[in-house]
Amino acid sequence: MSNKRLAPEGIAESSSSKRPRPGRADDEYVEIEDSDADDDDRTAAEAALVPRAATINFSALTRKLAQERRTVGADDGLSPHRRQQNALVSHIFMDQDFSWLHLKPDHASRPLWISPEDGHIILEAFSPIAEQAQDFLVAISEPVSRPSFIHEYKLTSYSLYAAVSVGLQTEDIIEVLNRLSKVPVPESIISFIRERTLSYGKVKLVLKHNKYFVESNHPETLQILLKDKTIRDARVVSQANDTNKVATFTTAKAPMKGGLVIPGTKDADKKQDDAAKASGASAGTNSADADLFTSVVGVDADEIDEDDDNVHAFEIDDAKIDDVKKRCNELEYPMLEEYDFRNDTVNANLDIDLKPATVIRPYQETSLSKMFGNGRARSGIIVLPCGAGKTLVGITAACTIKKSCLVLCTSSVSVMQWKQQFMQWSNVTDRQIAVFTADQKEKFAGDSGIVVSTYSMVANTHNRSYESKKMMEFLTSREWGFILLDEVHVVPAAMFRRVVTTIKAHSKLGLTATLVREDDKIADLNYMIGPKLYEANWMDLAAKGHIANVQCAEVWCPMTPEFYREYLREQSRKRMLLYCMNPKKFQACQFLIKYHEDRGDKIIVFSDNVFALEAYAKKLRKPYIHGATGQVERMRILQHFQHSPEVNTIFLSKVGDTSIDLPEATCLIQISSHFGSRRQEAQRLGRILRAKRRNDEGFNAFFYSLVSKDTQEMFYSTKRQQFLIDQGYAFKVITHLDGLESMPDLVYKSRDEQIELISSVLLANEKDAELGTDVKAGEGDLAGTVTSLDFGGPKGKTPAAQRTMGSLTALSGAQHMSYIEQNKSANKKLAKEPASRHKLFAKRDRDVAAAKKEARGRPAGRARPGDK
Amino acid sequence: MRAIRGALLTCDPAVKQILHAMNEKQSFIIHDLDDFHLLIRAEEEQRVRRELEAELEKNTYSLE
Repeated sequence: MSNKRLAPEGIAESSSSKRPRPGRADDEYVEIEDSDADDDDRTAAEAALVPRAATINFSALTRKLAQERRTVGADDGLSPHRRQQNALVSHIFMDQDFSWLHLKPDHASRPLWISPEDGHIILEAFSPIAEQAQDFLVAISEPVSRPSFIHEYKLTSYSLYAAVSVGLQTEDIIEVLNRLSKVPVPESIISFIRERTLSYGKVKLVLKHNKYFVESNHPETLQILLKDKTIRDARVVSQANDTNKVATFTTAKAPMKGGLVIPGTKDADKKQDDAAKASGASAGTNSADADLFTSVVGVDADEIDEDDDNVHAFEIDDAKIDDVKKRCNELEYPMLEEYDFRNDTVNANLDIDLKPATVIRPYQETSLSKMFGNGRARSGIIVLPCGAGKTLVGITAACTIKKSCLVLCTSSVSVMQWKQQFMQWSNVTDRQIAVFTADQKEKFAGDSGIVVSTYSMVANTHNRSYESKKMMEFLTSREWGFILLDEVHVVPAAMFRRVVTTIKAHSKLGLTATLVREDDKIADLNYMIGPKLYEANWMDLAAKGHIANVQCAEVWCPMTPEFYREYLREQSRKRMLLYCMNPKKFQACQFLIKYHEDRGDKIIVFSDNVFALEAYAKKLRKPYIHGATGQVERMRILQHFQHSPEVNTIFLSKVGDTSIDLPEATCLIQISSHFGSRRQEAQRLGRILRAKRRNDEGFNAFFYSLVSKDTQEMFYSTKRQQFLIDQGYAFKVITHLDGLESMPDLVYKSRDEQIELISSVLLANEKDAELGTDVKAGEGDLAGTVTSLDFGGPKGKTPAAQRTMGSLTALSGAQHMSYIEQNKSANKKLAKEPASRHKLFAKRDRDVAAAKKEARGRPAGRARPGDK
Repeated sequence: MRAIRGALLTCDPAVKQILHAMNEKQSFIIHDLDDFHLLIRAEEEQRVRRELEAELEKNTYSLE
């Protein structure tokens, strides 16, 4: 890339620095005295790091802090000089001036700072203990933005809810935060944490022996709940404690304890499952997770789980489960759902396992250990980048639970992919796995098995065919051990609710790469599935070689004056066509293709707009695939791309976003995209994240967005990047491609060619300007996942009616009949005589003429009487 | 002999097109010199700058 002038852009930095850091003002005053004292401690901390395990080694930190406290001594008051300094700069920060928060004397060695107002946490990612701090922060807060040096997290109700659900306790959270923070944790934050964790996660909904139990470690919480009428009515009162039902719920205590599985034994089992894994690392990770939070506090584990505590429970009516759940949410006691699958004797076991050759990566294991942390299956969401093996996580979870499993995905294409992946990674037999789509309706043989289907097939409330009705009865009549929800972020809330209520499942796992919704309805997922259990750090995975390192760049292509004039005139969707077809963009695209082909890259060019796709591909003489490309042709093109050195570039329309997997590709160029969809951007990046060559020395994949300057595209492009920027990607802006002008056979070089191009664009139909028109959604596909036409359109709308534009002649079936009005030659008209009169009148005329003649010849006086 | 006070604007071709579009609503361009230069009425300069800024701002994405 040396021959390109890269103009570094402030986007990446700005996102992290949009929140002023008060610490900045005191930067010059950082004491550096700790450098020699903690050298050995630091190495000790690093050595103690079990390979990317989730351990937090705080003993080192504590020792270090204690040491410094001794040396520095306690001086809380600020020196007058410093006070003055504060006064000088504080006005810059306006109401975000937090200089009144006293820095701890040893603040330099503590990595984070908490905003007292909104719970934002700023972490110094370059701090030696940042990695441990990150593990902790990921557990208790939501990552907002994670570029290289400064990370931003946010404490929210839901993140705290998630923290409690993985077994953290209020006081531990506060204590660890206090240890890591440069300033004492503000009172407002402490009370926020207390308030949230007090209610969250205290109540659990457990399905045991097919009965729902509301369970809690705290009997007083259950008392509170039972005071509510709805819940009281839903309670099933057993004979034994009928007499003192209001006061006690100790019923379930004994069986509960018997049924509990200690994480250790669970880990051991799990380790056998993943026999191929290096046993040391496996044990390390699993047990590490268990003592993660106990070691954090350094206190004994008695308050961590149900291990030592008594668990109180009362049973509730199946039918009223929804009401109770809803009511509990209103009471701010949302219920966690856990599934004690090991003690479930009612539902038949499904005998599946991972194939011995299947290797699980450490981060996949960490995510799963969050799910099975206490020997039961928790419901929740796991967030992993595209290409990082979400499917395998899902399959491993299914193999751990070993019960009937329902997998829901967004389109019929991914249904087949899931099935194929199940066959590939696990020893499930063909008759144990069934597919339920519009075309195929199968049932598995035996008592238990796996069904793969789409959301809309299951959530459909309209009339169904007889077969699907039967199939739905089959699905709803039985109890599922596990329901796997793929791409949870795209499913409309209403549809989700229908799925969740119609299907009886013990545990739910949502998988997604991009936990952003274009409609920002993330909160719904927290309530309907469960908390976010794990979110991987993209940069981390890239650094470890699990996904490819990607260089992102935005290439600015100036509009030519002609195109821009038309752009300003046009108000409709055609504007989009104009900025896609910008000749400078053509040239930039040609240049980048040439450049990367010479480097030996395999290139995919994406265009949402089919008209532009064809124009580009034809002009640059490259093969292209869009929705209308036939299956045989498609296969041939893909095969050539994968194996032939001749074909290094292909053009793909929206079909390539999801359903085509090309691990050969190492470079990606976007020429047109779907407005500001952050999800699409991440999905496309995912196409090159799994690049085969990612582990080559110094390998980089490239991701280019071509953007026409001064158009709306600039706006959309920046918006699209936000998600990736928050994951730590930095977009370089390329304003000028060096050597572009001197390139031989550059397309659209002359003004005449450009003008020719613009006239072809202007002639194009309005319809050509639409995006993703080539891909048709199949029955059972979720709106917006396959076609982009109704991306983010009104939710819950089924694509029942198809609307097409057409002329009246076309609609009346006369499109191919032509009617031409031909003017007759004027000459012929002239040659023709006026039509002759009827014989009768002609004779009369003649008679009249003759009579007149005769009359003239006679004297006038005699003429009259003699006439006739 | 009539003299008009003018201001010379240097701009890139795209901005020039925007200015031309603005000119159609309310005329201020005296002469279109070349691809990069325009001569406009001096008294309109501030207004033109303001409107141009607003126009360009439409294509910028901000976090808030």
